[in-house]
Amino acid sequence: MADTTVAPEPDTRSNLDGDGRGGPRRFRNGLSEKSLARIFVTPAILLMALVALFPVIYAFIQSLYLYRRRTQIGFGGFDNYVEALTDDRFWGAIRFTFIFTVISVFFEFVIGMGFALLMNQAFRGRGVTRASILVPWVIPTVIAAQMWFFMFNVTPGFINEVFGLGDFNWLGQRGWATFAIIVADVWKTAPFVALLLLAGLQTIPNEVYESGKVDGAGMFSRFWFITFPLLRPAILVALLFRTVDALRVYDLPQVMTGGAFNTESLSILVQQYVVRTPNPGYGAALSTLTFVIVLGVGIIFVRLLGRDLVIGRGEAR
Amino acid sequence: MTTAEARLLDEAARRRRARRDAARIWAKTAMLGVILFYCLFPFFWLIMTSLKLGDRALNSPNLFQGPFGLRNYQNVFEQDFGLNLRNSLAIAGMTTILCVLIGSLCAYAIARLPLKRKLLLLSAVLAVSLFPPVALVPPLYDLWRRLGLLNTWEGLYIPYTAFTLPLTIFILTTFFASIPKDLTEAATVDGATPFRAFYRIVLPLAAPGIFAAAIIIFVSAWNEFLLASTFAPRNPEVAQTVPVAIAAFTGAVEFQRPIGTITAACVVVTIPMIIVALAFQRRIVAGLTAGGVKG
Repeated sequence: MADTTVAPEPDTRSNLDGDGRGGPRRFRNGLSEKSLARIFVTPAILLMALVALFPVIYAFIQSLYLYRRRTQIGFGGFDNYVEALTDDRFWGAIRFTFIFTVISVFFEFVIGMGFALLMNQAFRGRGVTRASILVPWVIPTVIAAQMWFFMFNVTPGFINEVFGLGDFNWLGQRGWATFAIIVADVWKTAPFVALLLLAGLQTIPNEVYESGKVDGAGMFSRFWFITFPLLRPAILVALLFRTVDALRVYDLPQVMTGGAFNTESLSILVQQYVVRTPNPGYGAALSTLTFVIVLGVGIIFVRLLGRDLVIGRGEAR
Repeated sequence: MTTAEARLLDEAARRRRARRDAARIWAKTAMLGVILFYCLFPFFWLIMTSLKLGDRALNSPNLFQGPFGLRNYQNVFEQDFGLNLRNSLAIAGMTTILCVLIGSLCAYAIARLPLKRKLLLLSAVLAVSLFPPVALVPPLYDLWRRLGLLNTWEGLYIPYTAFTLPLTIFILTTFFASIPKDLTEAATVDGATPFRAFYRIVLPLAAPGIFAAAIIIFVSAWNEFLLASTFAPRNPEVAQTVPVAIAAFTGAVEFQRPIGTITAACVVVTIPMIIVALAFQRRIVAGLTAGGVKG
């Protein structure tokens, strides 16, 4: 995609400025908008290709080799993939990642939609609310994880105290550990979803609702037949980015349970084979599989959204 | 005469309506209280816990069980946390500078300049934004180990820049596209080169947008954990960042997380970020909704 034009490096800029002042007409022929566009785009493409695309290819090649510790011991073809696909640990990670994604995105969406509708209605206090909604967003995920860890933990047992549950061990048993992680994620990102949906709601003109009212539409049917269809693009964008983001979950389970009690996500699993029990070939195979899964889900969404998602960015909205 | 009467009647009706509206507004405002509680209460819990001293208070679920004091905060800075803050500031700062430099050029080209295969380029940018960072972990770890980039600032801010570029490009494309075309056209007619038009006219006008993007980039680089904990897991003197340090705090007793120190460190990190978020609330919201991506 990157054209083979040799991109002059940024130091030429100062020259351009001087030349421009001297003879604008000659200069305009020298560096047209077209070549300027190419020069402007090149560094971004290069960097993204170098740090995103190249490692994926590198990982794929690496995944075809067998390793003992960090030493390459031979070519294995798809052995690493066969091993991964027959490993219960891999399927456990898939299961947790998908359960986490579906449930947390669902609740984030429901709560986010509720918040957005409330904020869209209110006149007073909207600024304060919108500011406070940024608080969960700005708190680092690791901090949110530590915070919810201690709130769920048996000592000091804040959540148990509030709900009168005694010494219920949320983080130390299957199922409930997943639940605690989902709660933390929903708390952190539902407000963000609300923000995106609120922006969508504010583009719907009031007259549409007025005419709906005149036609005798109730509150529910106004939501279902007016808000929902008009909000569809905003909803899909929010769902796309939340889903893809939830599939890459790492911070929350890593800090809250360390991946114990069936809460090992795909990202945690891959990371284990890189650092803790190094096996570059197997780790690379796992990361390639994760890459294919996450990108596959992303592509399904983009298909649903159609070209609007990409084209819409270019024009003023 | 009649007009004055009519005006009086009007006034009365308006006042009645105003009173009914006021009641409804208050009900709606009360509902906003739910949102405020949801967003702020856990943070309040965090602050209260960080101020508690001694095992008895820290292990009590009661928020107001004293004694209170600042000793937890003292402990935080005895653990090299200042160095972690320095690393995070440097890495997130470098990411922000690089992203804004590279991203604004690319975004301007997409928004305003004639460029072939714009759709393909935007699709590629979108693909990178959907990219799972963990796919980078094995290959980059291997590469960084050979290049000696493990446990360095560069080893972190280079991948951060690549990963935050899509978001930057999306946000800035929206902002650049909202600047009237006539302005740059007028400048070109007056003899300015395309680059001069960008540098002297578009860039200053887009400054608020760039600022919003910068904050969002900074926050996402500051919060990153996966790559940071893989490429620089230890050694605050070198490159260990704040989230990694907070995840790794250990107490006197092993396997027991020191709740006082951790919560205090969390508050130390969070308060400046909340202040920034509140101060630039409008711009951040505008940037986030333009980018549509979580930081």
